[in-house]
Amino acid sequence: MTLLTPEHLRVKEEARAFTAAHIIPRAAEYDRSGEFHPFLLEAARESRIFAMAVPRELGGLDLDALTQALVLEEWGYGCAGMGTTLAASVLAQDSVLVAGTEDQKRRFFEPMARGGIGAFGLTEPNAGSDAGSGRTTALRDGDDYVINGGKCWITNGGYASMFVIYALTDPTKGMKGLSAFIVEKDRPGFTIGTVDHKLGIRSSNTVELLFKDVRVPAANLLGKEGEGMKIAMKTLDMARPAIAALSVGLAQRALDECVRHLQARYPDPKRQPGQNLQFKLADMKIEIDAARQLLHHTMLMRDAGVPYSVESAMAKTNCADVAMRVTSQAVQLLGSHGYTSELAKYMRDAKIMQIYEGTNQIQRLVISRAVLAPAVTQKGGH
Amino acid sequence: MDFLLTEEQQLIGQAAREFAREALDPVAPALDHDGTWPAEAVAALAGQDFLGLFLPAAHGGAEAGFVSLVEVLEALSRSSAAVAAILAHHALAAYAVDRWGTEAQKRTWLPRLAKGEVLAAAALHEHGASPLMAVHHPEGWVLEGVKGFVRNAGQAGLIVASAATGEGRRSLFLVEAGASGLETGAPAETMGLRGCPVAELRFNSVVLPDAALLGPADGGAALEAEILALAALANGAMTVGIGSAAVEHAAAYAKTRVQFGRPIAALEAIQTLLAEAATDCHLGRLALRHAARLLDEGQPFQVEAAMVQQFLGRMGARILQDTVQVEGGFGYSEFMPLPRLFRDMAGTTLRDAPADLPEAVIAASLLA
Amino acid sequence: MPNILVCFKWVLDEQDIKVRPADLSLDSSRAKGKISDFDRNAIEAAVGLVEAQGGRVDALTFGGPSVKNALKDVLSRGADRVLWIADPLAETADAFVTAHVLAAAIRQHGPYDLVLCGEGSSDAFNQQLPVRLAALLDQPCLSFAQTLELQGDRARATRKLGDSVEEAEAGLPAVASVLGEMNKPRIPTLKQVLGAAKKPQIEVPLAALGLEAGLLRPRSTRLGVRGFVMNRRNIIFKEPDAAANVARLAASLASEGLC
Repeated sequence: MTLLTPEHLRVKEEARAFTAAHIIPRAAEYDRSGEFHPFLLEAARESRIFAMAVPRELGGLDLDALTQALVLEEWGYGCAGMGTTLAASVLAQDSVLVAGTEDQKRRFFEPMARGGIGAFGLTEPNAGSDAGSGRTTALRDGDDYVINGGKCWITNGGYASMFVIYALTDPTKGMKGLSAFIVEKDRPGFTIGTVDHKLGIRSSNTVELLFKDVRVPAANLLGKEGEGMKIAMKTLDMARPAIAALSVGLAQRALDECVRHLQARYPDPKRQPGQNLQFKLADMKIEIDAARQLLHHTMLMRDAGVPYSVESAMAKTNCADVAMRVTSQAVQLLGSHGYTSELAKYMRDAKIMQIYEGTNQIQRLVISRAVLAPAVTQKGGH
Repeated sequence: MDFLLTEEQQLIGQAAREFAREALDPVAPALDHDGTWPAEAVAALAGQDFLGLFLPAAHGGAEAGFVSLVEVLEALSRSSAAVAAILAHHALAAYAVDRWGTEAQKRTWLPRLAKGEVLAAAALHEHGASPLMAVHHPEGWVLEGVKGFVRNAGQAGLIVASAATGEGRRSLFLVEAGASGLETGAPAETMGLRGCPVAELRFNSVVLPDAALLGPADGGAALEAEILALAALANGAMTVGIGSAAVEHAAAYAKTRVQFGRPIAALEAIQTLLAEAATDCHLGRLALRHAARLLDEGQPFQVEAAMVQQFLGRMGARILQDTVQVEGGFGYSEFMPLPRLFRDMAGTTLRDAPADLPEAVIAASLLA
Repeated sequence: MPNILVCFKWVLDEQDIKVRPADLSLDSSRAKGKISDFDRNAIEAAVGLVEAQGGRVDALTFGGPSVKNALKDVLSRGADRVLWIADPLAETADAFVTAHVLAAAIRQHGPYDLVLCGEGSSDAFNQQLPVRLAALLDQPCLSFAQTLELQGDRARATRKLGDSVEEAEAGLPAVASVLGEMNKPRIPTLKQVLGAAKKPQIEVPLAALGLEAGLLRPRSTRLGVRGFVMNRRNIIFKEPDAAANVARLAASLASEGLC
C-alpha cells in the first residue's frame, strides 16, 4: 500500500472517528426519508472539514490531495450520500481554486470555513455528457452579467450558500462561449426548482436551479470570458478522484458488512463457508485494494504537480466499477439477508459513482484517447 | 428438443403480456412506492387462471405446464416483478402439494389454490439461531422454531414449510395460516419487489395432525432441493423479464436522447451495452425454457435449473447496471422506471442458503 | 338467439415492422402476426352479445397460408368455431375480391343474423369491407358503430359521425362495423387458450366457393409502400436572447407554412 505518513494517518483517524460518531448512526434513517442532513453541517462546522480544500490563510485546512482522498473514503464508508455532499462542495471550491482571483477566493471560501457548503452547476437537461451544449446564458450588461436559464441534478443546490455556475457569455460560439461565475445564493431571480428522488445517495440534495434575470457583478466572473470549459475540465480532473475515494470507502464498507453478516451466519469455526464464497471475498478484497492504490497514486501525482488527467479518469472509472461490483456481489452472496439489510443501500448508492462527475463512458473516451495518442509531454505516469 | 414454443405457449405468453400491460403497468409504480398488498392484481391473476397455471385440470387447474409458467412470469415481470413474485411463490407451494400430496391433500387444497381462494407460500429458508424442528408426539407433530424471509407471508392461507425431523433428516409440512402458535413477523423492508411481502414465520409449539405431513417423513431434503430448483426457474424468468423490460426502455431512451448532436443510440459504446444485455436476456430465456421443458416432460431438471441460476445470477445485476448507465443521470432518478427494475432485479438474483448452490449441483453432475 | 359471424384479418404487427432508413422500404421479416386491432373489438362485441342473450359466434378469415396461426387465437377470444380460407391470392386481394370471397363463404355457411367487422384493418385500413359485404349480401349496414344492441329482429347502433352521433336501427340480418371505442377486448384466460384446441376449425377451400375468375381479380393494385420517417432538421437558433430566438423560430415556421 501507499506508505501513509503519520500526519495522513492522523487525519484519517479523525475522519474515521467523525464518521463513526456522526454519519454511520444516521445514514439509514436519512436514506429512508430521502431528506437532506443539515445536522451534518452543524457537526462538521467545528472540524472545518467542508473547507478541507480551502487555503489555510482563508481559514481552511488546505489538505493535500491524498489526505482529501483519505477523508472522502471515510465519508464514503459511512454514507455515500453524505459523502457526496462533501465531495460536491469541494468540487465547487475546486473551480475557484483553479481560476479564482485572491478576492474571489476570499469571498467564496470564507463561508466554507464557517460551515457553509458550495455547489457546482454545469449540467443541463440537454447537456449531460455533452457538457458544451448548455443553453444557460450570462450576457454582459454594463458592470453586470445577467444569467438566464437552468441547471439540473445540482448536488447541494438547495443548501449551498455559494455556487459556481457555468453559462454562455457568447451563445453563438457554443462551448467556446462558456464562462464560469460565482453566484451567491441570495441573488434575486435565482430559485430552486424540482428536487430529484434518486435510486441511491438519497440524502444528498439534488435539485434543479432556475435563473431568471439574475444579475451578478463582473467581479464574479472566474477567469476570462470563454474559459468556462477549460475551468470545468480542470475542476473535474481534480474532482473525479473524490468520486473514486467515495467509491473505495463504499466498497470497503460493503465487504466489511458482508463479512460481519457471514460471521454471524457461520458462528462455528469448524463449519465455515466454502471456497466458492471464500474466493469471492478474496476477489472483493483484491479489487478494493487495487482500486485504492490507483487512487492514492493519482493523488500523489497531483500533489507532486505532474499531469494526472488520465490517471484521474482511470481512478474514477475503476473505483466506481469496483464499488458497483463489490456492493452488488455482497447483496447477492447474503441472499434475502443482504436484500433486506443495509447492504442494499450500498448497492443503490454505488450506481451513481459510474454516472456522475462524467459517466464512466466519458472517462473511457479520455483514457482511450490517451492510449491511442499518448501525449509526448505527459510524463510521470509510472 | 423443439426450441420453439407451441402455439398454445405463444398464445399464453401473448395473453400474459396483454394482461401485464393492462392490469399491471398502471399500478406498478404505486405498488413499488407504497408496498401495500396488491389485492386487485392478485384477484386478476386468479381471473386469468394464472394461480392454477400448471395444476391438473382435475383439480381445477389450467394444466398449462412449466414452459407456460416461465413465459407468464417473464411477461408479468416486464411490468411488475413484485406481482410476478407473488405468483412465483404461490406456485412453489402449489407445486409441492401437487407433486407430493396425498389424494386427500390435493382434493383439499388444489382447487382452492387454483381458484385463488387460498394463496400459498413456501417457507424453506432459515437464518440463525432457531431452525424449525418438528417432533412427533402422540397428538401429532409439534413444530418449534423460525422460518426466515417467507414471501407472501401474512397473505398466504397455506404454507409449505420444511423442518428438521431429526439429525440430518427433513420433512415438509402443510401449515394453515391460522394454526395456533403460528406467528407472522413484521414485513421486512426491501429495496425491491415491494408489494410482495417478506417476513419471518415463528412457530411456537404449533401442533399439526399427522395428515399435515407432505411427502415422506424424513425424506424432505430431496423435496426441498426440487422446490429450490423450481424457484431458480421462477427467479430466472423474473430476471429475464425485468432485464428485457430494461433493455427495451434503455433502447427507446437512447434513440431520443441527443448528445454531441446525435442520438446516443448512434454511439458504439451505447450499442454495445444494449447488445450485451439483450444477448444475456436471450440466452437466459433459452436456458430457462429448456429446463422448464424438461420439467414438463417429467425429466430431471435440477442441473439445468442450477445452470439458469448460475448464468442469470452473474448476468442479471449487470444487465440493470448497464441499462441504467445508458440512461445516465435520468436513469438514476426515481421519476424514471429503471431504478425500480434495478431494485427488483437485485431480488431475483439472490443466493439464498445453502450458499454453495447452484455450483455444487452442477459440479456434482460433472463429478459423479 | 342470434347467430353472429365476425370477419377478422390476420395482419403483421406494425410494431415489429422496421423502416429501412436507406430507401424507406419496409422490413417485415421479423414481424409477427396478430388479429387486426379493430377486429378484436368486433369479436368482443359479438361475444358480449351472445353472453347477454345466447346464440353463437362464428369467426371467418381470408388470408395467406400464415392465417392458420390465427385460428387458436380467435377461438381463445370467444368464437365458437372458425371458418378459414387460406390462399396465396389473399396477398394481393383488394377490398373488392375480399368482399366477394367472404360473402360467398357467408352464403355457403350462413345464414347469420348479424355480420360484424372492425371499422378497418390495421394494415390497409380501407374501411370498405363492411359496406361492400352488405351490398353483396343485400343487407343493411350499420357502419362505425360506437354501441350496438340486438332487440328481437332489429339491430340498434350509435354511429359516430364527424362531429355528431346518430342513433340508427336496421332489420336483421344486417352487417355492422365496430369502432375501437365500443369495448375493451378481453384477455383470454389460460383455460380459454387451452380450450381453443377443442373448438372446430373449418377450412373453406377458395375453390369450393364457386367464384368466377373475374371476381377474384383485384380492381386496385398496390404499387408500392414506403415508410414514413420524421427527420430532425437540427436547426438551432443561437440568438443571444430568448425573444430573438422565438422570433426567428416563428418566422421560420411561417416561411414553411406551419403557422
